[in-house]
Amino acid sequence: MAANFWASSHCKKLLDQDEVSKVAQADLERGFTPEDVKLMKIQFSSYIKSIGSNAKVRQRVVATAIAYFRRIYTRKSFSEFDPRLVAPTCLYLASKAEESTVQAKLLVFYTKKVRPTFTSLFPSTDDKAYRYDIKDILEMEMRLLEALDYYLVIYHPYRPLVQLLQDGNNTDMTAFTWSLVNDTYRTDLILMYPPFMIALACIYIASVLKEKDTRAWFEELRVDMNVIKNIAMEILDFYDNYRQIPEERIAAAVSKLLTRM
Amino acid sequence: MVADGAGKQRTRPEWLQQYELVGKIGEGTYGLVYLAKSKEPAHRGTKIAIKKFKQSKEGDGVSPTAIREIMLLRECIHENIVKLVNVHINHGDMSLYLAFDYAEHDLYEIIRHHREKISCNINAYTVKSLLWQILNGLNYLHNNWIIHRDLKPSNILVMGEGEEQGVVKIGDFGLARIFQAPLRPLSENGVVVTIWYRAPELLLGSKHYTSAVDMWAVGCIFAELLTLKPLFQGIEDKSSPNPFQLDQLDKIFKVLGNPNADKWPTLTTLPHWQSNRQQIQSRKYENPGLYSIVQLPPKSPGFDLLSRMLEYDPVKRITAAQALDHEYFRNDPIPGRNSLVPANAADKVIPYPQRPVDYSTDFDGTTAPPPPQMPNSSNMSNQLHQSMNVGMQQQQQHRVQNPNNLGVNQPVAMHGMNSGSSMYVQRGNAAALQQQQQQQQQQQQQQQQQGMRRKEQTNMGYPGHYQPPNKSRRM
Repeated sequence: MAANFWASSHCKKLLDQDEVSKVAQADLERGFTPEDVKLMKIQFSSYIKSIGSNAKVRQRVVATAIAYFRRIYTRKSFSEFDPRLVAPTCLYLASKAEESTVQAKLLVFYTKKVRPTFTSLFPSTDDKAYRYDIKDILEMEMRLLEALDYYLVIYHPYRPLVQLLQDGNNTDMTAFTWSLVNDTYRTDLILMYPPFMIALACIYIASVLKEKDTRAWFEELRVDMNVIKNIAMEILDFYDNYRQIPEERIAAAVSKLLTRM
Repeated sequence: MVADGAGKQRTRPEWLQQYELVGKIGEGTYGLVYLAKSKEPAHRGTKIAIKKFKQSKEGDGVSPTAIREIMLLRECIHENIVKLVNVHINHGDMSLYLAFDYAEHDLYEIIRHHREKISCNINAYTVKSLLWQILNGLNYLHNNWIIHRDLKPSNILVMGEGEEQGVVKIGDFGLARIFQAPLRPLSENGVVVTIWYRAPELLLGSKHYTSAVDMWAVGCIFAELLTLKPLFQGIEDKSSPNPFQLDQLDKIFKVLGNPNADKWPTLTTLPHWQSNRQQIQSRKYENPGLYSIVQLPPKSPGFDLLSRMLEYDPVKRITAAQALDHEYFRNDPIPGRNSLVPANAADKVIPYPQRPVDYSTDFDGTTAPPPPQMPNSSNMSNQLHQSMNVGMQQQQQHRVQNPNNLGVNQPVAMHGMNSGSSMYVQRGNAAALQQQQQQQQQQQQQQQQQGMRRKEQTNMGYPGHYQPPNKSRRM
């Protein structure tokens, strides 16, 4: 149900690690490795965020768009659905789902505007990705609706984060934990765990780094600390290994999109 | 699937093969609604209502209304909420189809049937069962932070013959929204709720409204079930995009008395109360007469429940959960699942008419079979008007020719289309209806006038083609 996570399609459709990191057959044939796919998803998450900031949409719209993007590629291949069109279209669909529609023509405009900062995603000016227009976004919107099986409600960690920080009298960590939550969208965590667990993992990381003793509070919550720690490990792995990705690694992965088959 | 002019055979998308088209049952600003039957072995013959959304003209893709409806109904699973069984996309003409379980009746038609055809009240068991189920569905929505925002009799569907007979389904979620964490104030995306069922806080310009607006609408519907007449029939002011609706407020005050800051503390903070003070407060209504209108004793549980739904202050207004717990539902007659047939069946079961179907319309909104020189026009409404006129004159003929209605029920006469339901049909506006009612008073003998509700009907200007509705209606 739409506002009760436990009864929602989001909850029922949570995936495990194998399901989210599986590489589609068509992409395997083009030589995409699991690492390539992971890097591309990180880079495209940044791309969506960058278009979103330019279009001045709220963080939640960006978060929903990235969740759509990541969910689509658990089902579809990059070969079949060009991520350079899927990314802005996810933002377009998310802006409607979150009741703050951005016009397609504006999205096309901002997509062009941010392109120079994402040159590795657009290796060739002859590429069709250089000419994606309103019409392409509108057609892709319908294909995405199908690919998402018309499930559009996504829950995010932001709201539970605020509530949990208040509950534990830890509101001094709001800004820090909020930015941690933002960075969880560089991973597939939103597809794998209930949003409040992701929020808790961010609070856990923040309390370790800021040396705040939240152990008693966590104990009272009676949540499975192993799950919280697994989520935290995933976030820390991102910071250790993927925060700065060399351009050439992205370019090498994207070039496989252009491979003639 | 687009009509492609003369000669060529129109092709059907593959998904459509699983349905047998029966005909058109309604239309609205969003597009058209069709009745179809499932051909899938497991559900063979199950009736399905298919709502087709047109691509918006502004080049902005799938309409936000469709997105809202899909998004919410995909998550809603409740006996008293209309069931979205499937969504289909036709990439050819970029149209979107939502397939719902079909409901034969709605409260608009049931009330109208009692008022105009059989001139008797709806029995107490049915009123109570309908109300209980509306509240049950609404409680589910509100518990899940969804405000419907457009409750009115035509959006309350009732299942026809079958396993779910008499079960209420709340329909049309085109305006519904999740209110847990709106990114923008709820008032921002336009005025909502048909004016007769609009809560006073909305009429007074409240920016932050709540699920209580749905409860006000339920109160209005409850009264209408009792009296067969809309409780507050104000005339809508359409002079500007969001005008102050003085007449609607006046109608409410006349029945419930003027509100005041003692009973409703936040009243004085509402924009329109401030700015229209003189207009609003010039007329004083001291003797509220709600109980005499609904003909319930002031101390009866039914009246108590109604007046709690029509409480001015939204904070004090009864919630769906509280209403379900009200004494009214614990007294005889006890509400039941089949609202149309009481368990002991002592009362006679009323055979409500089936929803009228226009058998001459195909899935793309054109007449079937297509006339030899179908203009290759992109203007849907022109084609539609044309097809309707043609349909009216030559329905007999089309019925025979249209391969889609082989083996379906005997069609009802064309007039029926003009009174279709509005989860499926966009109804004429309040002012037009008011006008029609005045006309009716002048021409009381001409009963057939009462069926004239649709805009198309009045706009078309072919009253001569209009057939009296009496004869062929299935009773």
